Amino acid sequence: MKAEEVRSVKEEAIASIKSAGTVAELEEIRVSYLGKKGKITSALKELGMLPAEERPVVGALVNEVRQEIEQALASRREELGKSELKAKFEAERVDITLPGRKPNVGRKHLLTQVTDEIIDIFIGLGYRVAEGPEIELDYYNFEALNTPPDHPARSTTDTFYVRKAGDRPASDDALLRTHTSPVQIRVMEAAKPPIYVIVPGRVYRRDAIDPTHSPVFHQVEGLAVDEKITLGDLKGTLEVFAKAMFGEDREVRLRPHFFPFTEPSAEVDVSCFVCNRRGCRVCGNGWIEILGAGMVDPNVLAQVGYDPETVSGFAFGMGVERIAMLKYGISDMRLFFENDMRFLRQF
Amino acid sequence: MLVPFSWLKEYVHIELSPDELAKRFDLTGTAVESVKYLDKELDKVIVGLVVDCEKHPNADRLKVCQVDIGEEELRQIVCGAPNVEGGQVVPVGLPGARLPNGIELSRAKIRGIESNGMICSKSELGLGEDAAGIMVLDSTYEIGTPLAKALGLDDVVFELEVTANRPDCLGMIGVAREAAAITAAELKLPSTSVMEGVRPAAEMASVEIKDPELCPRYEARLIMGVKIGPSPLWMRRRLEKAGVRPISNIVDATNYVMIETGQPLHAFDFDQVGGGKIIVRRATEGERIVTLDEVERLLLTDDLVIADASRAIAIAGIMGGGYSEVTDRTVNVLLEAAHFKPESIMRTSRRLGLFSEASARFEKGVDPNIVQFASDRAIELMRELAGGEVLKGEIDVYPTRIEPRNLTLRTRRVNAILGASLETKEVSTILSHLGLGVKPASEDAHLLKVTVPTFRFDLEREIDLVEEVARLYGYDVIESTLPESSGKRGGLSPEQRMAGVIAERLISQGLFEARTYSFMGPQDADNMNLPADSAYRNAIPLLNPLSEEQSIMRTSLLPGLLKVVRHNLYREQYSVKEFEVGRVFMPADGAILPEEKRMLGIVLSGRVLGYEWYDKEKGRRFDFYDLKGVVTDLVERIGIGDWSIMPSKDPRFHPGKSADLLIGGEPAGAFGQIHPAVQANYDLPVEVMAAEISHDLLIEGASLERFFEEIPRFPGISLDVALVVDESVTNEEIIKMIEREGGDILESAGVFDVFQDGGIPAGKKSVAYTMTYRSTERTLTVEEAKERQAKIVARLQKDFNAIIRS
Ligand SMILES: [Zn+2]
Repeated sequence: MKAEEVRSVKEEAIASIKSAGTVAELEEIRVSYLGKKGKITSALKELGMLPAEERPVVGALVNEVRQEIEQALASRREELGKSELKAKFEAERVDITLPGRKPNVGRKHLLTQVTDEIIDIFIGLGYRVAEGPEIELDYYNFEALNTPPDHPARSTTDTFYVRKAGDRPASDDALLRTHTSPVQIRVMEAAKPPIYVIVPGRVYRRDAIDPTHSPVFHQVEGLAVDEKITLGDLKGTLEVFAKAMFGEDREVRLRPHFFPFTEPSAEVDVSCFVCNRRGCRVCGNGWIEILGAGMVDPNVLAQVGYDPETVSGFAFGMGVERIAMLKYGISDMRLFFENDMRFLRQF
Repeated sequence: MLVPFSWLKEYVHIELSPDELAKRFDLTGTAVESVKYLDKELDKVIVGLVVDCEKHPNADRLKVCQVDIGEEELRQIVCGAPNVEGGQVVPVGLPGARLPNGIELSRAKIRGIESNGMICSKSELGLGEDAAGIMVLDSTYEIGTPLAKALGLDDVVFELEVTANRPDCLGMIGVAREAAAITAAELKLPSTSVMEGVRPAAEMASVEIKDPELCPRYEARLIMGVKIGPSPLWMRRRLEKAGVRPISNIVDATNYVMIETGQPLHAFDFDQVGGGKIIVRRATEGERIVTLDEVERLLLTDDLVIADASRAIAIAGIMGGGYSEVTDRTVNVLLEAAHFKPESIMRTSRRLGLFSEASARFEKGVDPNIVQFASDRAIELMRELAGGEVLKGEIDVYPTRIEPRNLTLRTRRVNAILGASLETKEVSTILSHLGLGVKPASEDAHLLKVTVPTFRFDLEREIDLVEEVARLYGYDVIESTLPESSGKRGGLSPEQRMAGVIAERLISQGLFEARTYSFMGPQDADNMNLPADSAYRNAIPLLNPLSEEQSIMRTSLLPGLLKVVRHNLYREQYSVKEFEVGRVFMPADGAILPEEKRMLGIVLSGRVLGYEWYDKEKGRRFDFYDLKGVVTDLVERIGIGDWSIMPSKDPRFHPGKSADLLIGGEPAGAFGQIHPAVQANYDLPVEVMAAEISHDLLIEGASLERFFEEIPRFPGISLDVALVVDESVTNEEIIKMIEREGGDILESAGVFDVFQDGGIPAGKKSVAYTMTYRSTERTLTVEEAKERQAKIVARLQKDFNAIIRS
């Protein structure tokens, strides 16, 4: 092949490469020029047939043309590859607005979530979790907690009994515990101070079911007994709790109150987390009552064999339903026990 | 306790506004439930005079009135009341007034006539129930004054919540004493001088206490020749504001002084007191009395009565008898002021279901030494209001005087409990403000000797004084601290952590946690298909249940959970997946308290998925294997090593689709499809998969200990086999056979297909297994694996008559 022929083969090759529409077409072109029997390959093979003085010139030219064709092929292949891939992707496109396959995962009951949150805060303060029986002796539920025999809570209109000897309360009457406080006594009977426990549990009052009453509900009780426990410690502890539970901006207010088994006693309010103390439908006057608390009555300490002169303690108790209702804006207690899937799924 | 501000201010000078005082009460332990401004509701209601009243030209029943309300011009008001007449003094609501019944007044044209206000009825003003006609006022009321002012309603009433330890605040003077202490003001007590005649009371009447334990004190006074009539307006208003209905001057005087002092009083018609004798005694066997409310009451010998010479004339401290009550015809009155033992009053009042203002006070406790003050105060009021002559002297039987209590208080103790650093002098001042007698002990300057008057009998111990100091010092001033103990180590026990793992696992399986009531009813045992001797029927009954359906403690979580399933399925919730961890209660032999077992209950019912677009088994409902998956995943996850299942005989379940779970060979619960009869009993529209397993045994058998297992380094070879066997051959039998024949190089074997259809003969099923062979020491050859597979297949053919399909 003469030099001019080589050049025209090149022109022809480049032109056909440029007009190739698919990678497959391009491959055909490659074979027809650079394949075993391709025009350029043949030209190289035919070099020997040229006069000796022309060989180096034409040889160099053929190699140069070969490289140019290879380059043209490569760049066209890349171009074609991109657009072919693009077309392929386009064809594989899915409707991203169809819903995803969500894993079916359940939830803890809201009351469990709230209880766990409370427990978690107190574990951080060094408390352990204690539990006790739901059917309890009068002794633990009332008597050891300094409750007078004629206290209204001991009446059969207020408390469910499963065993009752007579009209007067007896230590071994058995009842559905009306609060988690009997666990205080059981814990103190079983151990010596220091005691720092948090007690979640189910409690019972003889109230017919309506939006704000339930014969079954839940409480969390706390008890700390140690040397030198003060009312200031109770206040500080409840402030830590309220901020962790309801937000850093919360304030805590203790109002003196009366409970048989603590003295001094307090009802505890937290500044409203809805209106921030401006007053709203949830709180009324800017404060929300969240728990009852107090210093463990010396009679109670003496009852379990502690010396009230050397150890003191505080106790507090709160209703889990009440806190859940306040925090999540729920106005009907029955929802907690209906277990409607639409309720359970929300939290 | 309802406390009208104007009344309170008679005993203590208060400069605080009602709201400020309420806040102070709140922060010192007297909870204020409400502060009611009586006049707020009657804003823009004015006293008016109907000057002229004519028939409405366009309506028969309406009248057009010209009303003088003290303005320059008369107001024209259209009125529909039948009783409106010219010359009446009436309440007039002006446009813009918002009445207590919610109506907002505005200018209006009624049948073409302009009306500039409304003449109001009692009911519209919230002053009574009368809605039939307009309220007609006393003609002496000044025209143009606001109605609230004219009616003496420009007052504020506090509603106080009086806690069990503060019965002294059930009297106005007690509240005033508290108010004085918290505002550092002075208490002013009313005078008790009595204008007496010369005839001695003791000549006319006598008092005998037969049971001084139940009645430590009884004082009688006599007033002769009274004229019964209504009390004056000021007293009626005060009583009404305090929530007491005025009756007559004599009765009102007793109620007034009871509200004032907290001491209940009773007035007898002296002419009905047989023999002029008052005998305080226990009722006799079978004794009866007709009380003021005209009900005959049978008394027990525990009940204390006030009797005359022949019979009971009152149930002591609770209610008088009808026969001796003060009536319009009463002339001579015996006034009782007595002190009764709280427990006795409470017992009798509860037994009879008879509660009165008097019994409410006596059962909480009254100051025994206020008796004479109250008696003098009431008898003098009676004389002032009803005339007559107070006989000289009181007949006061008080065999053992109840003395003030002496306590000591250590300042150190106050500071130790409060975490404060008060000076002894501060402590002393606070206690003095409460009316207690305080002086430092001679032996120790930081020790206070405190004399507690009988009106504060709740203060019995040093700690009670500490509390008084704390609440008056102010809880808000006490510095917040945290306990300093080094003995604290917080955290959950291993069992508590495991309970968390169980819940988390079930939740990750798609189950929602439920909480149901702890009760069930006797009918649940029948509904659950339980035989007569079933342990589940041995439930603990409540002595005082609220209803039949909630009359026994649950012995199983399933009745409650089945009701949850029904609740949901009937409310368009087509996929119910819930679990509950809760206690069941079983009588324990020889123990008072029952055994409380914690159980795990699971229910799955309805569709597995909703109608998701990717769901290829659309509408498939939960079946046995969904439930088994949940249960076995759980026991594996919590590391129970030794568990197994076997066919269950539990009557609550479908006999062919249920299994018992055994942990360590012991039954730990059952699961499966709820028996169709139970399903029908609970009115469940579709089948329910349910489990009830001992949570206690799960935790006992659980272990989160794990040891790392080497990951295989050599490749494994998997081979499949499909066979046709008798329907009755179980997967477990086949797997056991495969494992036995597979030997050391068989790593695992699992079923991957089970079906019965047209191609399979009746009574047979097609099952397919995949076996994985692997050596831990070298790369296994395909020939080795195939050889072992052939051995297994031969064995299956032989032992199970299996026909090999591939
Ligand atoms: Zn608020």
